[in-house]
This record gives sequence, structure tokens and C-alpha cells, in this order.
Amino acid sequence: MAKRQTSGQQARSSASRHQHNHRKSRCLGILRQLSAYIDDELAGDICQEIRRHLGACPNCEVFVTSLRQTVSLCRHSPVPSLSTVDRAVMRQKVLKAAQIR
Amino acid sequence: MRATDTNCRPPASSTTPSQTVKAFDKLYRDHVDLIYRFAHRLCGEPEAAKDLVQDTFLNAYRGFERFRGDAQISTWLYTIASRACLRMRRRRKGAPDRELSLEEFIPTSDGEFRLQIPIDGLSPEEALQNKELRRALDAAIDQLPKKYKMVLVLRDMEGLSAKEVGTIIGLNERAVKSRLHRARLFVRRQLSAQGLGQAEPEHALLR
Repeated sequence: MAKRQTSGQQARSSASRHQHNHRKSRCLGILRQLSAYIDDELAGDICQEIRRHLGACPNCEVFVTSLRQTVSLCRHSPVPSLSTVDRAVMRQKVLKAAQIR
Repeated sequence: MRATDTNCRPPASSTTPSQTVKAFDKLYRDHVDLIYRFAHRLCGEPEAAKDLVQDTFLNAYRGFERFRGDAQISTWLYTIASRACLRMRRRRKGAPDRELSLEEFIPTSDGEFRLQIPIDGLSPEEALQNKELRRALDAAIDQLPKKYKMVLVLRDMEGLSAKEVGTIIGLNERAVKSRLHRARLFVRRQLSAQGLGQAEPEHALLR
């Protein structure tokens, strides 16, 4: 009896491991396409499939959110601007170097 | 792709030196801020960025007559700047030029999957007012190997299309997208690996 229980548990655990691995490999397939997904470059049916997966997989949902945030931060990253003096000095240097040749 | 900014057409070979300088001045005036912004994003600091801007415009001046007007002037300048950047010797110790493999970014645990960047509820502009986050972003971009950094900067920071980026760095669109994905994954991992918002209470860093 105890033996049968153990083998039942093993079967369940193996099935759950199989399911888990299957889900993981699905996640990896999704991760490879996430940039194309957030850039809206994928066909409609693939997008829908990814959306369905994201709805059911909290790990991938968090991952795609953080990837979107990364892109968004890059897009809005500020850059200091040049001063009028810098612009004029660089122009002089370029023209001087061009005429030396 | 024909030039749309026709006023920036290069001077004909019969032009006088003063006409060349005049044409150069217009090119410089119209594009110096664009190229400085690009250079600053690539170099990460003002002095190296200024050197790169000067190299770019010097090469543009010298190559002015060879420019056939079959691309936008900005694309041509981005191309010159990208090449000049690749030639520039690194003045400080930076990221080695290595390949980034997708495998290194694949999370191996739930915890890695769920690394977060603590900007929930904030606009990117608001989030970037936090110096630590801004420094972490700059550092992550700086640590990217050059060829990945160039694609990320052109696509996600300068806002060019994958096709334009391909024209500038001489790659097909597929290769551009592949590099871009790895570069984004790298920056995401670096930002979340900083532990921003993890060691501290939530949003503590953003106060």
C-alpha cells in the first residue's frame, strides 16, 4: 500500500515536473521574442499567443514589464546640451584642422 | 532614399572655398546638436563626446563632395560618427568587445525572472529624476560591448528604425534586431541586478 502510494506520488511528481519543464521551455520561447513583441513586429496570431501566455504566467508578465521599462528609460534618458561657446570652439577647430591638410 | 533636406546638399566641385565653408556652416549648425547627443550617448561623457563630434564633422567636411545625396544628411552623419567611434581608442577601461549570447540572459530561477526595476507608477521622466537610477542606466549602457551599444543607442535612444540602423552600421535588419534584443536584455539585467528597490523599502530610492 505504502509502495503503491509512493509510486503514485512519483508519477504525479514526474507529471508535474514534465508540465513544469514544458512551461519553462514555453517561457524561453517567449523570452526570445519579447523585443519583437514590444516593438509590435510580430504577426497577429503570434502576438495573441504571447498575450495568452503572459496572462497565465506571472514570471513572464513581470519579465516583459521590466523589459518595457528598460526600453522606456532608454528612450527618455536625458543628455546635457552643448553651450554656444562649445559649438563655436568646435567649429573653429574643425575648420582649422580641415585647412591644415 | 533621396535627400529630403535639399538645402544641405554638398557644394558642386566648382565652388569656391568660402562657399564650401558656408555650406559646411549650414551642415554644422543644423546637425551639431544631433551628433553631440549621439556622441554623448556613445561615449558617456562630454569631453570624449566633443572629440567624436569634431572627428565626425572633420570627416564630413573632407567627404562633403563625395556625398551623393542618396541618403538623408543625418543618416550620413550618423554613419560617419559610428565609424569614428569604432576607431576611437578607449580612453578609459570599458567593456571588452565580446559577443552577448541569449543564453546568459535566460533566468534560471523564479527570482531571476521576477527582477524588477522600481519605477512602477512613475513616468520614465519622473523615474529618471532619481540620480541612482540614472547612474545605473548610464553604467549599464556604458558596460555594453560597443557593437551592441551602438544598436541600442541608435534604435532606442535616437529613435531610428531597424532599417536605418542597418544602413548606418552595415547590417541587415534581422541582425540589428538580434543585437538590439540582447542589448536590452543586458541593460534590463544590469538595472535589476543593481538591487534598486530590493535592498531598500519599495520606492525608497525614488523619494
